Amino acid sequence: MSEPLLSVRDLKTQFFTEDGTVRAVDGISFDVNEGEIVGLVGESGAGKSVATSSILRLVDSPGEIVGGEIEFKGETIFGLEADDDGELRPRDEMLTEEEMRKQIRGREIAIIFQDPMESLNPVFTVGGQLREFIEINRGLDPDEAKAEAIDMLREVGIPAPESRYDEYPHQFSGGMRQRVLIAMALACQPDLIIADEPTTALDVTVEGEILEMVTDLQEKYGTSFIWVTHDMSVVAEICDRVNVMYLGEIIEQAEVDDLFYDTKHPYTSALLDSMPRPDRTVDELRPIEGVMPEAIDPPSGCRFHSRCPEAREVCREVHPEPRDLSEEGEALHTAACVKHDAFDVGYDESPPIDTQATGGFSAGFTETGGEAE
Amino acid sequence: MSLLRYTLRRFAQAIPVLIGIVTITFFLANQIPGDPVEIMLGPTPAQEQVEAIRARYGLDRPIYVRYFTYLSGVATGDLGLSIYYDRPVLEMIMLRLPVTLLLMLSAFAFAIVTAIPLGVISAKRRNEPADHVSRIVSLIGVSTPSFWIGLVLIIVFAFYLGWFPARGLVLPWANPADVRGAATQLEVLRQSAHHLFLPMIALGTLQMAQITRIERSSMVDSLQGEYVKLARAYGVPESTIVRKHAFQVAQLPVITIIGLGLSTALGGAVLTETVFEIQGMGRLIITAINNQDYELIMGTTLVFGVVYVVGVILTDITYSYLDPRVTYGED
Repeated sequence: MSEPLLSVRDLKTQFFTEDGTVRAVDGISFDVNEGEIVGLVGESGAGKSVATSSILRLVDSPGEIVGGEIEFKGETIFGLEADDDGELRPRDEMLTEEEMRKQIRGREIAIIFQDPMESLNPVFTVGGQLREFIEINRGLDPDEAKAEAIDMLREVGIPAPESRYDEYPHQFSGGMRQRVLIAMALACQPDLIIADEPTTALDVTVEGEILEMVTDLQEKYGTSFIWVTHDMSVVAEICDRVNVMYLGEIIEQAEVDDLFYDTKHPYTSALLDSMPRPDRTVDELRPIEGVMPEAIDPPSGCRFHSRCPEAREVCREVHPEPRDLSEEGEALHTAACVKHDAFDVGYDESPPIDTQATGGFSAGFTETGGEAE
Repeated sequence: MSLLRYTLRRFAQAIPVLIGIVTITFFLANQIPGDPVEIMLGPTPAQEQVEAIRARYGLDRPIYVRYFTYLSGVATGDLGLSIYYDRPVLEMIMLRLPVTLLLMLSAFAFAIVTAIPLGVISAKRRNEPADHVSRIVSLIGVSTPSFWIGLVLIIVFAFYLGWFPARGLVLPWANPADVRGAATQLEVLRQSAHHLFLPMIALGTLQMAQITRIERSSMVDSLQGEYVKLARAYGVPESTIVRKHAFQVAQLPVITIIGLGLSTALGGAVLTETVFEIQGMGRLIITAINNQDYELIMGTTLVFGVVYVVGVILTDITYSYLDPRVTYGED
């Protein structure tokens, strides 16, 4: 197999706040191959957006990438090495901030943000903003960049692009603005586009149109995508491979069909079960019990054990690293759950524990509250 | 052109405001206890003298007649006759207004030129030493009265150091023949700048401090905007982001504060002119009030009102020019 376009290894990004260190991304690894749409799925707060901003090295203070490696087309976006005193320092071949800005951001890796209403600058014309990014990232002169911008607006389905070029963002609807942001990303002709929940803020019909358009354009340009979302139906529609994140970790990684039909991690199953479907009524929906714990103080052992319906004593003690669970000849399918035999830590012998999902947790709380009266 | 129509409409809308100002000042001024004729003639005037003067200034007529006479006068540009100076009020104002406008414009120029870079640097280097210095400077600026700053400036830079004159003002367009020690217009200009420097700082410090604070907080907001993140993610250089992407959005609240600052600056001008003995509108108002010169009180107040209203309209126009989301109300 050829080298992946982007390879992320054991990436750790932490936020140093007054309340303590938030381990927003805690050792994730994944690859993106050429021409592939890779999903990054998880609830709010799982660390998806921090992971993507880490790839561009645009983590806002007080956040910092503290470990791991990011390689893109043979270039080192991030990498540390120990010096003679054992102190970690950036490797010599790691791109400088200036190189990141000039070579990578926009030019090689472009991003589409979640909120189309806020992402465009309200005081500049849509065309002007598009043209500026094209000029910077493709080295075109202003006239060429303008022509390119108008072509790209037409490509993403904006009617009358010549006249809309001179309009301001507030004159565009949410869906149209998201199309503009997609045009921005494509117009810079990057090899990788990070789409950070680009359809979350849109209504479903617009979302459908945009997904369809992206799939078409992806085929046409062959661009790779990292598609960040919390919506499993979007994943099903658009992704080739999927990474499921929970509390800063990737807990399952598989090709999209395997993930849906041969789910290996209880969290992924829970996500799929919480998805509304036409063949199920609202009563039959099974939302995931409890809320995701804070990344500042993650639970011991498996981080999902406090909400997991299949949790056992061992889950509280053993922290599973993802392992390949695929059979011979199958595509890679990793999961981090000790219930699989590959882990062999005595799950089957371990007694079940009370969790929020099994009902024990909340019942316990009510009981103490009741008796105190 | 819709901007022109918008401007004209805004000025037309200002007319009722100005009528209101005239009405309120007219009746307030006439409510001040005492009598201008008495002030003029001393404690024991002859009865005929009093009546003659009252008749000359129209003070013998009933108040409502005087009100309507005054209102129609204002409409035709006649602001009446100053009782104290015995000259047309308009003439006095035309003499003094340019002085005050010069002082105010230079104070605002000083404030804007210093405050905007200071605020931007402060926002860019948030919670670093530069930010703390700028915070302390603007805190002192906001909490110090302009007359006190004026006095300190006079003591330090005029008396002890002797760098600047302590009093008076030379107008830059004055005839060199009328200005002592100036043979050419260039020397007049130099003298003018020399005189203007201390009062400009005394009057401009408060504005500078306020604008700095607003500029900082507005830039901090705008630098955290999604559009700034987007620009960074597309490799736009940080300097361009600060100068262009973040800056232009951040100026909208700043414009509002500058517009509102006009009213405090008008009040400040009265004090600054007194401290520096500058013959401007502020001193004219004080003379008018001290001598119960009805026509002059009303005339100067009206002019201050006009300056303020024009300032507000200019603010709105600038706003609609800078922010494409503001329409001219022609939906």
